This record gives sequence, structure tokens and C-alpha cells, in this order.
Amino acid sequence: MSVGASRQHKHHDKHAHTIKMPGQVLMHKVPLHFVWRKVTGHGGKAVNAELALIPFIDFLLVTVVFLLMSFSASGEIGVDKNIKLPSAENAESVIEAPMVAVNGNQVLVDGHLAGSTRAIEDLGRMQKVDELFDLLKRKRELWKSFHPNKPFPGVCILQVDEAVPALVVKSVFQTAAYAGYPNISFMVRKRARPAD
Amino acid sequence: MNTELALIPFIDFLFVTVAFLLITAVWVSFSRINANAQIPGPPDPQKEITPQTPEKVLHLHILETDFSLVWKQGSTVVSETKVAKPEPSGEIIKYADLAKKLGEEWKLHGGHQDASDKKLDQAVIHADNGLPFRDIIAVLDALYDTKRELSGAGGKMQLIPVFNMSFSVR
Repeated sequence: MSVGASRQHKHHDKHAHTIKMPGQVLMHKVPLHFVWRKVTGHGGKAVNAELALIPFIDFLLVTVVFLLMSFSASGEIGVDKNIKLPSAENAESVIEAPMVAVNGNQVLVDGHLAGSTRAIEDLGRMQKVDELFDLLKRKRELWKSFHPNKPFPGVCILQVDEAVPALVVKSVFQTAAYAGYPNISFMVRKRARPAD
Repeated sequence: MNTELALIPFIDFLFVTVAFLLITAVWVSFSRINANAQIPGPPDPQKEITPQTPEKVLHLHILETDFSLVWKQGSTVVSETKVAKPEPSGEIIKYADLAKKLGEEWKLHGGHQDASDKKLDQAVIHADNGLPFRDIIAVLDALYDTKRELSGAGGKMQLIPVFNMSFSVR
């Protein structure tokens, strides 16, 4: 029965307001024939579409393999959020060593406050940062007590903001060297080399 | 013989793995640039001190408009070259001309060019106190651009930078 015919029948039937013909009523008020055909299942394509599982699993497997290949078990190296590191092309991978961060006027060793650089900037000449020196010296002694038969590597990594003046960098560098860390590395953001 | 793979738990497992790997992924990678404070160790009383000829050291002066490359042997100046400083363009500072010149200078004056030599040539950076750290890193990047081969354990060759850097301290 067409939509128009059922409407005509409804007007002549005195019991139309109480008795209704059973059947599909979903969206029958929409005056579009192609919608009605789709709803009643007489359309060309079914409304429900099946998910192709095999390509979907393939996609998931490729994603898992890619993420596993780029997975780093050592985790992320903690970099102070206030420090904007400079970038360089000729850089090596980071090693396990004490991290000395220079953030504005503060000096931090592995996240703990180890002095200020304000005095250096105020004086305008190189100066030893005493708190940093003491903290690094204590770290060196601790390392030696844990590894009595091994030579001390003397490596530490400086995380310095790109805008920090050379005077502060040189002061922190020399302080670390005097505390027994002569092999100092500067942390940078690795920049890709342009293709030749 | 044939058994069916339970697809729903398998897809669930893959989803959980993807979610775990996405959460633990490290998207930003950091690297390091080496330097050395050149602090001599305590003298060994067992060893006899013999006077040695001082090695040639490259002194790199970062000036206002150019770079000065001075090779010194002790207090004697062996050679001096100047490289013009390019105008800053954009956020990334790169001294390509300096890197090229440093490579040429090392080929002329470098004392440790043999693949079996583990020692590196020394470069001393002379920077103004007010110079931003990003400029120093750009110079270091140019300094470490030239590389040479070093024979490692089992004759395996590896590429290493030709210079080791230190700061000039007054």
C-alpha cells in the first residue's frame, strides 16, 4: 500500500482515531518517497554497513608495530618547562648524568634548587656558584662511594635556556668543572640535517 | 584442526596496546653537544716530567661582525683567518660558511688526522659575556660539523668530530 492510499483510507474510516493498521510507521510522515523506501527496506542499499574486519586489524597491527619501533623504554628526559633549548644538527644522544638546568636566574640540579645566577649578572664577571658546587661535589662523592673501584666519568649535562648570556653559561660551566665534572655536555634540540 | 580466532578480544587487545604505546610515546627527542673544561689532573709523582712541544690549538673569537680563527702553538700565532658573520635570518641560526672554513683550516693545521689517533684537536671559544647561549650553540654546531674516521675495536670505523671545545676563561 502506498503512502497516499493509506492516508485516503484513514479519512473515510470512522474508527481511524482508535484502530490503526499495524505496520511500519517509522518516518512515514516524511513526504519523500526515497526515504520511505529506504526505511521499509525496499531501497537499493541496506542502512547497516558491515565493518571490514581484516583491513581494520591490518591497520591496528601496523599502528602497533610503528609505535613499538618508536618506543623508548628509558622514558622521557625531564626538561624544565621554562627552558627553551637551542637547536643543533651535530649532536649526540643523551647519556645518564646529573642534569644542571639554568632557568632564568635559578640553577637546578636534577630538579632541586642549587643557587641563583643573579649575583653573576649583577657583578658582571665570572663567579663560582657555591650551592651548585657543593651539590655536585656531594653527588660525586656519593657516586664514588657506590663505585669504589671505577674511575669517575665526570660527565654532567647542562640544560640552558637559549637566551641566557654567555657569562652565566661560563660561570656554571667552570663551577661544574671545579666540582669534578670536566666533561660537560650542553643539551639541545636535535635538528634534522638538510638533504644534500 | 582449524580453530577460529576470537576477533573481538583480539581487536580489544590491539586497541589497549595502541593506547598504551600512544600514552608512553616520547615525541620530542633531545641530544647533547660535548665540551671539555680542560682541567689537568693531579701530577703523578711516579712519572718523570718531560717538556713537550705544545700542540696547535684553534682559538675561535666570536666578534660583532665576524669570526676570527687563530691557530696558536703555545703563545706563537701560526695562522689567522676571518670569516664574515651572516645576517640573522629567522629563528634558526646556522653558520654554514664558518663550518666550511673550519673544515678547511683543520685539514691545513689539524694535528690529529690519523684514523688510529684517539685524541682530538682542541678549540677554545672566546665569546663576549653578553652573547646569548643560542649563538654559542650555533658556533659549536659549526665546529662539530667536520668529522673524521676513528678505528674502533675490531677495526670498525666510526665518525667523530675533529674538534673538542672549551671556553676561554680570564
